[in-house]
Amino acid sequence: MAFLDAVGLAECVHGVEATQAGFLGWLEASGLGECVRSSTPGYPSMIALHAIGMAIMVGLSLVIDLRILGFFSGIPLSGLKRFFGIAWIGFGINFLSGSALFSAQAISYMVDWVFLTKMGLVLLGAITAGILQPAVANAGPDGVLPGSTKAVAGAAIVIWIVAIIMGRLTAYL
Amino acid sequence: MNALMDWMLSTPINTLVIGYAWSWPTLESLHFLALCTLMGSLLIMDLRLIGFQRIIPLSAVHSLMPLAIGSFAINLLSGLGFLFGDPNTYFQNYAFWVKMGFIVLAGINFLVYFTRVEPQILKLGPNDPTPGSAKLVGALSLLFWFGVLSYGRLLPYLGTGGG
Repeated sequence: MAFLDAVGLAECVHGVEATQAGFLGWLEASGLGECVRSSTPGYPSMIALHAIGMAIMVGLSLVIDLRILGFFSGIPLSGLKRFFGIAWIGFGINFLSGSALFSAQAISYMVDWVFLTKMGLVLLGAITAGILQPAVANAGPDGVLPGSTKAVAGAAIVIWIVAIIMGRLTAYL
Repeated sequence: MNALMDWMLSTPINTLVIGYAWSWPTLESLHFLALCTLMGSLLIMDLRLIGFQRIIPLSAVHSLMPLAIGSFAINLLSGLGFLFGDPNTYFQNYAFWVKMGFIVLAGINFLVYFTRVEPQILKLGPNDPTPGSAKLVGALSLLFWFGVLSYGRLLPYLGTGGG
């Protein structure tokens, strides 16, 4: 617990009273929400981690999707399957940093259609990665993938692009 | 420096970037999308240089280079857009200069790769181990580019602020 004391989380948890009704209000008033919102390093460090996780998850997904569509065909699909594991690490970083950022402004996020659209698209993007991962892992040495797999990869590119745009616009609306 | 900033503020690029509500968020969206494709292609190229997934031929990962360079070009242009839109804020923010420093280091590292490392490794077949120089250049590339990304994202929160 010495670590928690050192980061100030424990102090925040004790120092904040839940004043707003409901789960979102409780979340905002929680130690996590308060710390991410008000501590000098808390919010920027979560923001930076969120950009790093995004670059890993979305960056690798987009390149693998392009490969499935037929670009960079010299790269064997079997060589890309372990990159999904790295992409999921990026996704995990963003799930955690995103949860922290959400807790700082939970009430306003939950009524923001841009944010909700982004979350829906991120969920869809993760589903496409979950579909494409076994398809890439099971591709034969000839590397031929069925048209349905290519359709998912094409949809994934559109989903990720719109998700990034909506994520950026969340800062404006 | 003041003359440079005054000139940037007087250009039509400045008007285009800050004169319309949609132009800044559009540039930001482009900057974010291209950073994803840049980092995605770099992760595959650099991790392969380090030794990850040796089943991929080095000449094949090299085919990602145009995607990386094209993505960087988009970010250079959109980044110049931010700079012309609000030069004072960027030039006065130390995080901006740290980010530029990381870009210079990444550029030097790329030149070392291009002139010294690539000629050696393109002859290697799949599953051949890469030399130590390739591993070092690949690791430094990831370090420098994640530095660029981190300081770029921290820019509004460090120094004197700015977008």
